[in-house]
Amino acid sequence: MKHLNEEELIEVYYKSGTVDAGQHLEACAECAEAYAALRSDLNEMKFAAPPTRSAAYGERVWQSIAPLLPAYEAPRRSWLSAGLWRGLSYATACALLVVGAFFAGSLWEHNRSKTTAGGNPPQAPEHVAPPQQRIVVVVLSDHLDRSERLLVELKHADAGSEEMVSPLRDEARSLLAANRICRQNAAKIDDPALATALDHLDHLLGELANQPGGVNAATITRLQDEMNADGLLFQVRVLRSRIPEQQAAKAAQSKEGEI
Amino acid sequence: MQCMGKNDHEAVRAVLGGDKEAYGALVMRHSQSLFRVAFRITGNEADAEDVVQEAFLRGYQRLESFESRSKFGTWIYRIAVRCALDRIGVRKADDSSRVADEADPEQEQVQVADKAAGPDRLLLSGEIGALQDLALRSLTATERTAFVLRHMEDCTGEEIGAALGIPANAAKQAVFRAVRKLRSRLAPLRVMR
Repeated sequence: MKHLNEEELIEVYYKSGTVDAGQHLEACAECAEAYAALRSDLNEMKFAAPPTRSAAYGERVWQSIAPLLPAYEAPRRSWLSAGLWRGLSYATACALLVVGAFFAGSLWEHNRSKTTAGGNPPQAPEHVAPPQQRIVVVVLSDHLDRSERLLVELKHADAGSEEMVSPLRDEARSLLAANRICRQNAAKIDDPALATALDHLDHLLGELANQPGGVNAATITRLQDEMNADGLLFQVRVLRSRIPEQQAAKAAQSKEGEI
Repeated sequence: MQCMGKNDHEAVRAVLGGDKEAYGALVMRHSQSLFRVAFRITGNEADAEDVVQEAFLRGYQRLESFESRSKFGTWIYRIAVRCALDRIGVRKADDSSRVADEADPEQEQVQVADKAAGPDRLLLSGEIGALQDLALRSLTATERTAFVLRHMEDCTGEEIGAALGIPANAAKQAVFRAVRKLRSRLAPLRVMR
């Protein structure tokens, strides 16, 4: 049996010993005797008690040190945190403004479309047109491009070849609808040159697309002659070349309006 | 170790907020306990009073480093222990005597003999308490403080270590050495019991 050493006995005395040490003390007479001697020695150690201090002692200590103590400064917000708060406030205000503007815009747009659908179209202000005009210009550009290709193919088409004529007819049918929209728009914007060219094109496309009994060699030849006589291909090319200028002019107008 | 409430933390916050007078409440609340431990370590009434004042001064200067999750009483108590150790020249005495303690057990007797007026004379005059105090003062400052905190203030090893700025295990060893030395030096008293 391993006996407890003095350190273990001291720990038991100060109630910080292990459970095993306590059990050992109960079982081992030799260690119990050593512990009794230790406890007796420590219990007999009666050191001089500290002198008593009156209740006013604390007050006296405070009075003696108070003049030596500078008051702490109340914590202030640093410029960094103040700036941070200011920045956050501005950001929040901006976010609210954007959300508010978006919401107001949505409402306005909603009311406007309702009014339009109700059969009481408002007079569109001039500055509302640009987006639509832009779309029309794009559509017109595409239409003239396709028409030019058709006219070129028609110009060089072999009247006797069914393989060449059939795609021309399909393309002419496809272009007819777009051509009508472009004609209507040309009438609205009061562009006589465009309107005239589109009228000629409409006639030619109609002939090509809707020829009763199909397109034959004679029809092709006739259309080629008409096209050449009207200078239709040339007109289409000229009109197509005007489109970038028109776009630039409209963009400039739009900018001036914004300024 | 100490009895503290919420008021201590509120007072600390008030002091740091610019209310210097709030520190007065803390001083008045903890002066008695600080004086008691300061006296037990220094063994001198005047020194103990100086230690109390110095502890509160140091505490005020370091109040911003006080962490609100700990107890102010414990915190200022540790500062007082450090001040008391400083007062009795803990560093020099501790280092030199520790080396002597470990190296030459015979020197213990020499140290006691140097400081004591003689055990026989003290016993004869019935000054047992004085002999015990003398034996206590013959310990190194660390041993004495560790013993005082363990035996009289009922501190744990961890608390003693924190107060002395040493590991808890080293604090326990200091207590063991103190008890061993005291028993050795007070052995003659056993005959008189």
